[in-house]
Amino acid sequence: MEQPVVELRGISKRFAKVLANDNVSMKIGKGEVVALLGENGAGKSTIMKILYGLYHETSGEIYVDGVRRRINSPKDAMDLGISMIQQHFSLVEAHTVTENIILGTVKGKIDFKKEEEAVQKLSDEYDFGVPAGARVGDLPVGIQQKVEILKALHRQTRILIMDEPTAVLMPQEIGTLMSFVRKFAEAGNSVIFITHKMKEVMEVADRIIIMRNGRITGEVRKDETDTKELARLMIGHDLEILSKEGTAEDAGRKKRLEVRHVTVQPKDAPAVLTDINFEIYEGEVFGIAGVSGNGQQELCEMIYGDLRPTSGEILLDGEDITPLGVAGRIEKGIGYCASDRYRYGMVANMSLAENMMLKASYLKKWDRHGVISWREVDRYTQKIIEDYQVKAPDASVPAGSLSGGNQQKVVVAREADMGSRLVIFDQPTRGLDLGAINNVQKVILRERSEGKSVLLISTELSELFELADRIAVMYQGRFMGIFDPQDLTTEKIGLLMAGVSMEEMTLRKEERTDE
Amino acid sequence: MSNRRTFTDLLLWTVLAFVLGLVVCFSFLPLMGINPFTAAATMFGGVFADVYTMGNILVKMTPLILTGLAFAFTFKANLYNIGAQGQFYVGCTCAVSVSLALGGRMPGWIVMILAMLASVAGGAVIGFLIGYLKAKFNANEFLVSMMSTYVITYIMQLLLRTVLQESKHEYIKTNKLDKSVWLPKILPGTSVTLGIVISLAAAVIVWFILYKTTLGFRIRVTGQNMDAARLSGINPKKEFMTAFAISGAIAGLAGFVEVNGLQHMLLTGLDSDVGSYGIGIAIMASAHPIGVIFSSLLFGILQVGGTVLSHSTDAPASIIDLMLGFVMLFVLISFYFRRKVELARMKKKTAGEE
Amino acid sequence: MQNIINLLTRAIFMSTPLILGALGEVIAERTGMMMCAVEGIFLTGAWAGFAGCYLSGNMAVGFLAALICGMLVAMLYGFCTIYLTQHQIVMGTAVAILMTGFCTFFYRVVFGIPTSPLKIETLPVLKIPGLCRIPVIGQVLFSQNIITYITWLIVPVVFYVIYKTAAGLTIRSCGENPEAVEVAGINVRRIRFLAVMVGGCFGGVAGAYYSLCNVGMYNSEIISGRGWIAFGICFLGNWNPVGALLFGILFGISEAVGIYIKAVGGSGIPSELFSALPYMLVIVLTALRKQFNVPAKLGATYVKED
Repeated sequence: MEQPVVELRGISKRFAKVLANDNVSMKIGKGEVVALLGENGAGKSTIMKILYGLYHETSGEIYVDGVRRRINSPKDAMDLGISMIQQHFSLVEAHTVTENIILGTVKGKIDFKKEEEAVQKLSDEYDFGVPAGARVGDLPVGIQQKVEILKALHRQTRILIMDEPTAVLMPQEIGTLMSFVRKFAEAGNSVIFITHKMKEVMEVADRIIIMRNGRITGEVRKDETDTKELARLMIGHDLEILSKEGTAEDAGRKKRLEVRHVTVQPKDAPAVLTDINFEIYEGEVFGIAGVSGNGQQELCEMIYGDLRPTSGEILLDGEDITPLGVAGRIEKGIGYCASDRYRYGMVANMSLAENMMLKASYLKKWDRHGVISWREVDRYTQKIIEDYQVKAPDASVPAGSLSGGNQQKVVVAREADMGSRLVIFDQPTRGLDLGAINNVQKVILRERSEGKSVLLISTELSELFELADRIAVMYQGRFMGIFDPQDLTTEKIGLLMAGVSMEEMTLRKEERTDE
Repeated sequence: MSNRRTFTDLLLWTVLAFVLGLVVCFSFLPLMGINPFTAAATMFGGVFADVYTMGNILVKMTPLILTGLAFAFTFKANLYNIGAQGQFYVGCTCAVSVSLALGGRMPGWIVMILAMLASVAGGAVIGFLIGYLKAKFNANEFLVSMMSTYVITYIMQLLLRTVLQESKHEYIKTNKLDKSVWLPKILPGTSVTLGIVISLAAAVIVWFILYKTTLGFRIRVTGQNMDAARLSGINPKKEFMTAFAISGAIAGLAGFVEVNGLQHMLLTGLDSDVGSYGIGIAIMASAHPIGVIFSSLLFGILQVGGTVLSHSTDAPASIIDLMLGFVMLFVLISFYFRRKVELARMKKKTAGEE
Repeated sequence: MQNIINLLTRAIFMSTPLILGALGEVIAERTGMMMCAVEGIFLTGAWAGFAGCYLSGNMAVGFLAALICGMLVAMLYGFCTIYLTQHQIVMGTAVAILMTGFCTFFYRVVFGIPTSPLKIETLPVLKIPGLCRIPVIGQVLFSQNIITYITWLIVPVVFYVIYKTAAGLTIRSCGENPEAVEVAGINVRRIRFLAVMVGGCFGGVAGAYYSLCNVGMYNSEIISGRGWIAFGICFLGNWNPVGALLFGILFGISEAVGIYIKAVGGSGIPSELFSALPYMLVIVLTALRKQFNVPAKLGATYVKED
């Protein structure tokens, strides 16, 4: 290889609790797209944040264009032509696109008109369609990402780091992003693409560096590998294959949950849910596909009682539960594993036992006349820790001190238990490593076989195909239809997720055949 | 084991901060021509010289425990009741009104119970109103509670100047309470009354409510994570109001123990620091109800020590605030360094494991 | 009529320190820093201003001393909250207690125990030639002291800086999303510290206004909550300098009405209620106002992982 643009030599990074990077070395060439592949917590983001100056290495050296550099802050990195787009965007939502892009690059009085024109020109050059004067908070996520890219282009970046850039995108948008990445690299720039999805890696990268537990476990050229090898390098072993027994059409099933024509219309705002109509049978996993932010969370909160329907009704085993609030529905035996467990599902500073108590504060489960029997709660928690193999010393440690996967085990265990009739799982495997994903999926199937009903929301199509008995696709707060997984292909689902109805698809097909 | 370690850590750092705070404060004394070393000797010698002075520490602690608890209670709900001073005044006013109106006409203990209930109710009402404004209008409770103290102080002054004024109409204060409604003294040779028992009991009760009941559990959950609370069937707004009402009630109770226990009347400008000291006390105790007892003890010692110092040397009474201010400052700074050392220790430990 | 003109003149006079304090607060809070030390800073300013002026016999020295001392207290507050990541409200209380003790103690150190309260001449009125002869407005607006005029000039300056300059963009971004600012290569903590320092300068001068312009003496009750009112004005004014000006004047009027009624007497309404008026006003207005553009990260400590 000719002189690498960036070279990392033996970088280690130690945080208080973990060794995030252990002797990591890599070279990035000019005009190259390198994918950094690994599970959550493998240390991919950490190593790149070190290159970008957000973290400081404990030991090791960084070379840019063959010269040893100390990168103390993002300012230093940017001066060297390095930009990084964070997984959670670094945008000020209350400010305009232009204000966001010029932040830190201007001095003195700002000529907003001139800056806005320049930003608009840059956006048009790349055909991004970003309105330079719009408030960032008003823009959809896909466009926000383009704002981030523009920010980097505005600073004349030649080494672009992108942290999980596809996580928030629709299938079509991913294609656009990939072609930008290729074009940008062909112009002589370098791109480092952090991801945990093997498919993307195969699509865009020239070279793949795989990380696990803070170390580099492999480095391969794309044309010399396959997904199976990548998976092994990523997780260190092969995956367990799940099996699902029986189908929903088994005779004599009762309707467990019925949602009848529910619309949720906030005051002075467009409806978040429109005419949602479906039922879940006992022992059935009902899947919901869709790009996140299309009403899935609202659907969960509506069923869980946190969001009141403007019209329509909700029945559980034939009983109208529409007027009940969250506490009432918990009592009826509904469990809810929210997508953002950290925010909605647990209290990080409280102990595991206290987190087990969380949803039971109005039930007479562990308290007599308002006095909690912590001994009982502790005993229960200890049992959960053993049953679910939670890596925790005992019930008294704060939930926040556990790893993401173990936190999720605790929340899943609690909700599976609380939901004696229906359990809602909203993206239960998001952000987990493959082992933990396997674990959660097994729980879902176990609940199903026990006759509980499960509402499963996922952005991972493979997960839905594997677990769900029926799948509904959501787009802008509506159901695009309810389907048997066998009738769906990934391509069809992608179009449904983008708001193209089945009828339109047949029409299009006919048109094409007409030609 | 790790718990014990945290506790010793806390103790060591607090002692260090305490000493540093005093050192810095005393280093200003030469400006007044006072030798800091003799001053320190005078102060600590004086505080522990006799039973009466030591008793005064408990006397000073009595209302401070309660205002400290008042702040700590809302702090657990991630709310800021900066208005304990005002709720304390409401408690004082209620207690003194009931005691003056009924004192001598009924058995003393009945009047005292009524006065206590009145002060608790008075404080609770104010607290509830603040919580209500927060829940209903999303008003910034910090600002509202802060302002409520000033409003209440002026209203109390108005009452003291008019309906509650002493019979001679000379001073802005009330008549002395009938002896039958004075809280009984419990330690011979001191001014310590039953009030300290009430305060200590309150601390234990608050601890029990917060950590052993579903009521307290819900308040703590709301404080730590409002979204999780909502999705657990807890209504955060209701918890805001409950927490503020209880907090106000505790601060109101402080009014009762102070009026019926120590002052036996109400006068303008009474204990005008008890609210802000309460905040300091709660913070030093990391808002733990039992810890509040100990940090109140510390504040009590400094207050009595400062008084001894200003009586026996040329040091002004403001030395008390100076001491408390510096000690608080250093305690807060010590929180940072304690955390830092803890992290470094953790780093070392994980490095050792690999 | 003359009464009303006098009342308004007084209102404008009383509004100056509130506006000034609120402007300092606006700058700091726009970066996400609640300046809960404001009451302590006001008090320090009042003390330092008085001491500086009394000892030197020069008003300018007094104000300069207040500015510097206000800044120093703000730096202490900023250091502990920003770099040592301590809680802002809690730290504010600590600073308030400390500065109460400090000012009283050092008043005694510097002046001993004077037999009668020490007094100085208050800052004279500076009539603006020409303009002061306009009927009504001339007296109300153009027969004030120099600090008032300077405050009025500062309002558009602060407005310009916040909304039209790169520094202002950085300040606003710090309060909305500090991580984004850090990623853009700007040191968030330094920006916040500087903003708090500037806020401290404003607060110090505002405090000195009470001792040097209003009463011409110092005692520990001189501020009694005015710092917090400035804090409230910043809230009510929606973190906007112009809002601070308008609400500052409103509170100036409420203070002036209290003073006026007390002086005239015989209204039948107890004077205490008028004294309580500004504080009640804050409560009522905070409860009634629905729309606030609170900086998203106001009050949240920015912890930089390293």
